[in-house]
Amino acid sequence: MSSNQPLSDDDVHAYADGKLPEARRAMLVAALERDPALAARVAAIREQNVALRDAFDPWLAEPLPRELIAAAQPPRGRKAPRGRWAMPALASAATLIIGVGLGWMGRGEVLHLDGTPTTFPRQAALTHALYATDPNRPVEIWANEEDRLVRWLSKRLNFPVHAPNLHAMGYELVGGRLVAGNEKPGALFMYENADKQRISLLVRRDNEHTSETAFRYALEDGVGVFYWIDDACGYALSGRVDKAQLLAIARVVYGELAAAEAAPKP
Amino acid sequence: MPDSLPHPDLVAALPRLRRYARVLTGDLNRADDLVQDTLARAWEKRRLWQPGSDLRAWLFTIMHNVHVNQFAIRRRELSESSMDADDGPVAGWEIPVRATQSDRVELAEVLAQVGRLPVEQREVLILAAVEELRYEEIARVQCVPIGTVMSRLNRAREKLRRMTGMSPAPLKVIK
Repeated sequence: MSSNQPLSDDDVHAYADGKLPEARRAMLVAALERDPALAARVAAIREQNVALRDAFDPWLAEPLPRELIAAAQPPRGRKAPRGRWAMPALASAATLIIGVGLGWMGRGEVLHLDGTPTTFPRQAALTHALYATDPNRPVEIWANEEDRLVRWLSKRLNFPVHAPNLHAMGYELVGGRLVAGNEKPGALFMYENADKQRISLLVRRDNEHTSETAFRYALEDGVGVFYWIDDACGYALSGRVDKAQLLAIARVVYGELAAAEAAPKP
Repeated sequence: MPDSLPHPDLVAALPRLRRYARVLTGDLNRADDLVQDTLARAWEKRRLWQPGSDLRAWLFTIMHNVHVNQFAIRRRELSESSMDADDGPVAGWEIPVRATQSDRVELAEVLAQVGRLPVEQREVLILAAVEELRYEEIARVQCVPIGTVMSRLNRAREKLRRMTGMSPAPLKVIK
C-alpha cells in the first residue's frame, strides 16, 4: 500500500492491531486527533481484542492429552523399539497444565513428602543459589563428559535421567552434580547462556503419583522456579530470569524430555 | 531442505494448535483428532518447512487445509443423508477456568458469541486478535487474498460488536 492512498477501514484495523506500516501510521494518528469517533473505534477494537484474549487464553493452560504429545514426536521416534531405559517414569508425559504462576493450585505441599524439611521448589531454589554462584565448581562432572554424567546420575538415582538440549533457548549445558534430596538423591543439571546467566534443572524421584502434570511457579528468595511432576519424577527449573522466559525454557525442557523418552536407546 | 521439524517448538505449539482446532471444529474431541491429523501431515510434509519461518503459522495452514478437506467430506455425507450441514452456533465451548464469578460470565459470553460467527470469520478473528498473526500470514493460512481476510475481519468485529453492544458504530469513510 502506498503512503498517498486515502486511509481506509483496513488501515483502522491494522492500526488497532499494531500492524500498520510506519508510512501510514502518522497519517492515521493525525486522523485520530481530528476525529474522536475514529479514536473511539480504534479503542473499541482494542477492547474487543483484550476481551478475546481473556476468553481464549485460558484454553492454552488446559491439560494436553498424552496422545497429542505423542503425535508431536517424529514418526521414526514413534516407531522406535523401547530400550531398557524407556521407563514409565518419563514415558508418562501424562497431561500438562501450564498454570502460569497461578498460586491457587501451585502450592508446594503437593510435592511435600512426609519428613521433608522444605518444599520442592524451595529445595530447588536453594540448590540453584548454592551452586549457580560457584565460579569454580558449579558442577561435579562437566558437559564435555555428558555421557558419563548422565550414566552416573541415572545409576545413582536408579532411573534414567536426561540432560535436555536447551541450545534453541540460548543455553548450553555446563555439567551436573548429585545433590541431596529428601530421602533419595537428586540430579542437578546446570546451564549457562552467553551472558553467563545460569539456570538449573533439578530432577528427583517422587513417591507421589499424580494423574496430571502441571507447571507451577514459585519465587524463592529472588530465584524463579517452574516445577512439575511427571508421573513419579519431580522436575524444577530454577533461575534468576524473567518468569515468561523461564516458562518458555520449561516448555522446551518438557518437550526435550518427552523426545528423549521416545528416542531409540542403545 | 530440513529432514526434521524442531521438536521442542512443535511441542510448545501444541496448546495453540489445539486452541485453533477448537475454534475450527467447535468441539474438543474433534479438535484433538484434527490436531493429530495435522501433526501427522506436518511430519509428512516436513521438507516443505522453511527453518527460521514461523512454525506456528505453517502448522495453522496445514490445519486449515486438513479441516477444509474433512469438512467437505462431512458435508457431502450429511447432504447425502439429507441433513442440515450447519456450521453455525458452536456448542460445548467450555467456560475457562480460574476466573472470578462475574468474569466467568463475561468470558463465557464472549466465547459463545465468537461461536456464533461463521467459521471463516471466527478463524480470522482468532488468528488476528488472539494469535496476532500478520494479515499476510492469515491470507496464506486460509489461502485467500488479503482483501478477503480484511473483509472477514471487519465483519467478524462488527457482528461481535453488535452482539455485545459495547462499542461505538464503525465509520465507513475516513478522510
